[in-house]
Amino acid sequence: MTLQLLHFQILSAAIFCIGLYGVLARRSAVLVLMSIELMLNAVNLQLVAFGAYSGFGTSTGQVIAVFVITIAAAEVGLALAIVMRLFRSRGGVNLDEIDVMRG
Amino acid sequence: MLTAITFVPMIGAALALAVRGSARTTRLIALTTVLAELGLTISMYVIFNAQGDTYQFVQRAPWVSAFGIEFLMGVDGLSAPLVLLNGILGVAAVLVSWRVETRVREYFMWLLLLQGAVMGVFASLDMILFFIFWELELVPMFFLISIWGTGRKDYSAMKFLLFTFLGSAFMFAAILALYFSFPAGERTFDMTALIHKDLTNLIVPSSLVFSGFLVAFAVKLPIVPLHTWLPDAHTDAPTAVSVMLAGVLLKMGGYGLLRINAGMFPDELAAAAPLLAVLAVVNVLYGAFIVMRQTDLKRLVAYSSVSHMGFVVLGLASVGAGTAQLDGTGLNGAAMQLFTHGTITGLLFVVVGLVYDRAHTRHIADMGGLSGRMPLIAVGFMIAGLASLGLPTTSGFVAEIMVFLGTFPAYGLATALSAFGVVLAAGYILWTAQRTMFGPPLERWAHLEDATRVDVAAMGVLIVPIFVFGVYPALLTDVFDAGIAPIIASFAEGASLVAGQGG
Amino acid sequence: MGITARDLFLIAPELALTVGATVVVLSGLVSRQRQLTLVLALLGLAVTFAFAIALWDNVHANGAQSAFNDSLIVDKFALYIKFLVAGTAALVLIASSEYAERFRPYGSEFTGLVLFSAAGLMLLAAAADLITIYVSLELATLPVVALAAFVRTRIAPIEAGVKYLLLSAVSSAFLLYGFAFLYGASGTMQVVGGSSGAPTIAQALGEGSPDVPFGGLAIMAGAILATAGFGFKLSMVPFQMWTPDVYEGAPTPVGAFLATASKAAAFAVVLRLFYEALGGSSADWSTLFAALAAITMTIGNLVAIVQSNVKRLLGYSAIAHAGYLLIGVAAVTAHGQETQDAAGISSVLFYLAGYAAMTLAAFFAVIVLTQRSGDERIEAMAGMGKRAPLAALALAVALLGLTGIPPTVGFMGKLFLFNAAVNSGLVWLAVVGAVNSVVSAYYYVGIIRTMYLREPAGDASPVAAAFSGRLTLWITVAAILVLGFWPGGLLEVARTAASGLVS
Repeated sequence: MTLQLLHFQILSAAIFCIGLYGVLARRSAVLVLMSIELMLNAVNLQLVAFGAYSGFGTSTGQVIAVFVITIAAAEVGLALAIVMRLFRSRGGVNLDEIDVMRG
Repeated sequence: MLTAITFVPMIGAALALAVRGSARTTRLIALTTVLAELGLTISMYVIFNAQGDTYQFVQRAPWVSAFGIEFLMGVDGLSAPLVLLNGILGVAAVLVSWRVETRVREYFMWLLLLQGAVMGVFASLDMILFFIFWELELVPMFFLISIWGTGRKDYSAMKFLLFTFLGSAFMFAAILALYFSFPAGERTFDMTALIHKDLTNLIVPSSLVFSGFLVAFAVKLPIVPLHTWLPDAHTDAPTAVSVMLAGVLLKMGGYGLLRINAGMFPDELAAAAPLLAVLAVVNVLYGAFIVMRQTDLKRLVAYSSVSHMGFVVLGLASVGAGTAQLDGTGLNGAAMQLFTHGTITGLLFVVVGLVYDRAHTRHIADMGGLSGRMPLIAVGFMIAGLASLGLPTTSGFVAEIMVFLGTFPAYGLATALSAFGVVLAAGYILWTAQRTMFGPPLERWAHLEDATRVDVAAMGVLIVPIFVFGVYPALLTDVFDAGIAPIIASFAEGASLVAGQGG
Repeated sequence: MGITARDLFLIAPELALTVGATVVVLSGLVSRQRQLTLVLALLGLAVTFAFAIALWDNVHANGAQSAFNDSLIVDKFALYIKFLVAGTAALVLIASSEYAERFRPYGSEFTGLVLFSAAGLMLLAAAADLITIYVSLELATLPVVALAAFVRTRIAPIEAGVKYLLLSAVSSAFLLYGFAFLYGASGTMQVVGGSSGAPTIAQALGEGSPDVPFGGLAIMAGAILATAGFGFKLSMVPFQMWTPDVYEGAPTPVGAFLATASKAAAFAVVLRLFYEALGGSSADWSTLFAALAAITMTIGNLVAIVQSNVKRLLGYSAIAHAGYLLIGVAAVTAHGQETQDAAGISSVLFYLAGYAAMTLAAFFAVIVLTQRSGDERIEAMAGMGKRAPLAALALAVALLGLTGIPPTVGFMGKLFLFNAAVNSGLVWLAVVGAVNSVVSAYYYVGIIRTMYLREPAGDASPVAAAFSGRLTLWITVAAILVLGFWPGGLLEVARTAASGLVS
């Protein structure tokens, strides 16, 4: 059996869902960030697979994956800075504990 | 001219707020404004030619041309008397506010703004303009009740606001549905054009559009069971606001019913006539019975308003008779009732307010024998009371008899039951008079003083029209006839259309 | 294919803003003068404005133009949003010049971040392919994350920053996943066609179902995932949960910026995507958006009722207004590309501007009112009518506008939106919207009542506003009222802008 586009789609959907589950279930800010990375990588996989298999004749999919990786890196940089701030002021990065606002 | 009538009170409002002087200065500014306004409305009414064009004093200017919204003002026989009524009540409202001492400038600002907004409602012939003034009136009312009111004023003000706003939400949707029912190019908010259009084939069933308007106006009139805001608002409002509320704000509901529901949707109205007849009877009798067990003088008058507005609904139901017998007497009576109830109940509220100012209570059980201490006020009360129960030679009699005559052919039983409401009215008015004004003078009220000249003027402004139009109702009915005639014509038109299709 | 001078001219507004932002940040190294920062920022915005006007002229003469190998489209639609974003940024910066005192010593960084985010939003409005949408969205979002967490001394801003960051990252993942599907189904990322002649999504989809697994479903999945992703930015239920937390926790000017500029650009891109790229597809987006609109405004309004913090309440009000705006989106998508006139799009554009004026006025007033005490509870607003007359008046006008009471721009905006809905046959949605306005009246008027009718609990001394604060309050209040009285001018501009998208 050769690998087909469908296989990549299923794999990427699975990874995306695992990432989403992590975002919803994890309470540590760092683990949530990692889960988001997982979701973004699922997207990358999808994009590259589409670019490679669909025969569009362009490399748009692969190029966009590079964009996504770059921006995700910037995002993580900012995120970690804020999580550091959170850690310094609260001594932890548990998201359940930062819930001063309600309503 | 109508633009002036609408905006003179608003300019007065701005002046009242802007001029910093003693409370007396502000009062004089307000008084000058409403007197000028009264002069304008009277001259408008005198110039208005009942035999002339349907719409007079028409002013038209484009406003939001992309949506065909116009600044379109004008009066016909239906609205001209109501504009006059508003002019009269404005004077009375300012005069009874003479003793307001807190935040005087703001108070008169809001009061004048209220008058201007109501003028706008009666004078607008563009649906959107009409709606804007309809909404604008909420703001002054809200502040007037919640700042200068008594009792549970916050609650009442909010309840008033939300009820009216809810009603107007339906009206808003109905207006838009009406607008978009026509292909681009023929769309219009112009009431004078809409009334001649065929409104039977709309994008939503026209009965829904009809109901949208009906709900909005039923809240305002009010029709049971949408009336619950009224007693609260009346009870807690300051006197002048009660006067305006009973005098003209309720009339906006009746005016809308006549102008839009009857004028534009004759078929739907005829179909709804049985329901309206039932609602009218409920309104009249429920209101009257509730009045009987009121202990608060103001609440009593408020419920009597509910009862009396039932007659307006009954007059509308007269269209159920079918076009053969429809001569407009019922609708004319309904319109007449709007005017007369405005002056009569306005007077009742003035009197109640004067009593409250002196005795600081509205509890009926605490009163008794007041006529000995304040004969002038007692006279005012008796005139208002007798007019309210429909004594001949007062305008109240004319209106009610016309409603009964007009509706009897259509709904005999409903008319008879409603007529019983008049008997009840006689009962509760006389009973109340006896409990408050007459009887042995009480020791505790020995210090009370009678009406001042300002108070007498306030009562006089309202008593004059009660008698003038009572003795010579043609002054009023001729004008109303001019306004009702096109509505009757549209009923006949609808009937001939139906007949044409049948043949 | 290289970059030409024309490309640079077409993004001159964004370039100017970016340069301005860089200069502002660098100026912080030299001087920590708050005035200097502000002047530099306003200078940058002025140049941006000048370029945008020049581009408007150019587009007016030569039609829409694409730049950078078709990744950006400069049409009047984009320019309208750019004006809105730049104007909002300018007002936010002026209003927060006093507030920014507490950001010391990072005042210039604060200003710079606002400008960077504004540049991202302006690019977003002009984005012509999916990847540019994503990149500019991130450029707009990341500075706001930093801004939300700007105050180090309190936990609430950090919480706001973390929540905003995590949820926006998740939403970006959804968005990208959706984009990937759209790419897979169509083989292109092009939303708007350009000079290179590369096929757009709409064209590719028009050629029949693509040869990929789940072809038609892939488009559906892509659109729904993208809607979910945008849903976060728009505060659309069920992706709204971050909104109140961020509005409450973030510094007030940041909330103002987020609520207005951010939302305007996000709506612009949703309109562009669903109108230009997916407008031709057979799926019924209108029903989806209509349902989302109804749910969003209802939930936003109902939850807002029980709020006790002003900023949090404004957050829920922002959710509700996202719902009103979605009415416009539903109306636009109802028609399909062929029959649509510009009315739906122009109503959204008009409302975005009006909503920006009202929301900015409300936030600026909150800045002034909470300046000294830092107390953001609604009860703390008691007596503000006397303590801070101008700010209280501005807040009252803004809240009446948000309720939709004439003569404010809020009324006109809702009129146009509901107009568009009824025009598209969504009468029920207009009714839901109108009833929602009634619900919102309850909590909006509640604040007004607290300000004017309650006595202050403790401190009753006047709350002074700095000149910059007063200036912005006057500007926004004037905008609310002027656009309420004369909506025609802005509506005409919005129509022109919308027709840029339609043609």
